[in-house]
Amino acid sequence: MSKKLALLAAVATLACAAPVAAGNKLIPAGQRIAVAKSAMTVQPGAEWNKLSERPGRNAETWTQDGDELNDLSFYGGIESGRPLFREVDKKNKPLPKVSATMLITDIPVLLENSYRIARDASSMAIDTIAPIQFAGNKGVRFTYTFSKQNETLQRRGEARGAVIGGKLYLVTYEAPSLYYYDRSVAAARVVADSVRF
Amino acid sequence: MVGLLLASAIGTSALAADKRPPLPTYMQAYTPTTVDERGIWMEADEDERRLRESRSVIRDTALNAYVRGVLCRTVGDDRCKSVRIYIDEIPAFNATMSPNGTLTVWSGLLLRVRNEAELGSILGHEFGHFELRHSLMDFKNRRGGSDLMAWASILVRNSGDIRYNTIGGFYAFDRAQEREADMMGFQYLTRSRYPSSASADVWDHLMGEADATAIGRKGRAQHKYVAGFFASHPTNLARATYLRAASIEAADVKPAVVDTHQAAMAKWLPVFLNDQIKLNDFGGSEYLLANLAEGSGWTTPLLCARGDLYRERGNPRDLVSAAQFYQEAIGKGDAPPEAYRGLGLALLRSQQVAEGQAALATYLRLKPAATDAALIATLIS
Repeated sequence: MSKKLALLAAVATLACAAPVAAGNKLIPAGQRIAVAKSAMTVQPGAEWNKLSERPGRNAETWTQDGDELNDLSFYGGIESGRPLFREVDKKNKPLPKVSATMLITDIPVLLENSYRIARDASSMAIDTIAPIQFAGNKGVRFTYTFSKQNETLQRRGEARGAVIGGKLYLVTYEAPSLYYYDRSVAAARVVADSVRF
Repeated sequence: MVGLLLASAIGTSALAADKRPPLPTYMQAYTPTTVDERGIWMEADEDERRLRESRSVIRDTALNAYVRGVLCRTVGDDRCKSVRIYIDEIPAFNATMSPNGTLTVWSGLLLRVRNEAELGSILGHEFGHFELRHSLMDFKNRRGGSDLMAWASILVRNSGDIRYNTIGGFYAFDRAQEREADMMGFQYLTRSRYPSSASADVWDHLMGEADATAIGRKGRAQHKYVAGFFASHPTNLARATYLRAASIEAADVKPAVVDTHQAAMAKWLPVFLNDQIKLNDFGGSEYLLANLAEGSGWTTPLLCARGDLYRERGNPRDLVSAAQFYQEAIGKGDAPPEAYRGLGLALLRSQQVAEGQAALATYLRLKPAATDAALIATLIS
């Protein structure tokens, strides 16, 4: 009987340990690191956690408190003809695709439309748009707000990106407007400011 | 209560020479009676409180008054008064009604119906669910079915067939309720000032749009008459068919009414079109625009939306078409500054740099405080 119990306990421990074994990784502060399987590198000023689950093939997500609470995502060179992130329902709700001839104004539109479709974020709005230098290229910085369908929680986001050599590079930070956005926006901006190729 | 309803129903039908089935008796400020119904209402009240605070609910008084007006003209003034209407900005065709009388109308529905009568047919359907207390019946049916399945799993060896049938029964029950609500909505419509044929028109157009979406995505357009095992609603084809048959039978000839749908929607049409265009559904959106243009002609908002639709798909030929649509809109004289923005971006993408920059400059001149002014300025220099 006690053996069985011990076995059960072992199984339970393994089950509980599963998330740890999923391969999330600590990103140390102050070291330059390549992100999103691309030539893009960043240097965080604080510790972040890299989630093992990627939004798409050439993308990765960092977080401090959990991806629903603060989500720093990197999209590293999305090629023409590919969606920004993984399709949610390719047959019924296909996502818009990156195009090599995209203008700089199309970058916020691509993110907005992808969110509206994949996250049912019908109240998505782009609030500010400004031209910036993105790692030495002509880029765009924009802020946005959205809430998912049937949710009253409003989320805020800030993104910057550019189309370089026909591929889309984008860094987004988003968090609930309430408390979490302000809490880690400074740390996220340090990372986004440090983008280099 | 049900007995009372039944008795009064038989009473009225015997009295009137009217061949139409009677409406259920209306009771003002109805309060739930049984423990089941009270529970369902409590949950619905909770949902309504949440909905009331939702950011996506459109609080525009005029639009809300229009929807309420159509509901009242469809189901009658006494019935419509107690209904709370919430217009939710969700770009899909849907409306729901909770057991406590909360009517939620999605903006995608308002965009798709072309006149008051079509809107009335859907609102009447939803009101039918409410008046016939379908949520309560459905809850009881599911509880009874799950009780049966639980006992069957204990008492009957290999009870798989029983469970299979019971689960199939849940969905068949839902479909029967939908059909009942369709016919109830139809009854309201025949008694209203609106032509009852509108109820079948809605489903015809929805099928047309579904076909266009499928073809646009290189899929296959297909409509079945028989609903699937897990389908909660009859198929659109079935609904169009039985509603059309009913409207032919009813053969109601009514004097034409002044339709206020387009006027009521004027302020919101560009917003709802924008929501639709962003869904990456070229075929469906194109069908929808053509369908709206059939009623109103190619107005400026429709042309601008069509320009956006083509520009966002962005094939070289699409960019040429998009520029033409924007130019047509500008030619009408009442185009918003965004038409110049769209025109400029479409031209820039099709390598017509000088013309594109000129259009963008016009946009900036007309709307110097635009959110994206600084970014657009970088495309000109």
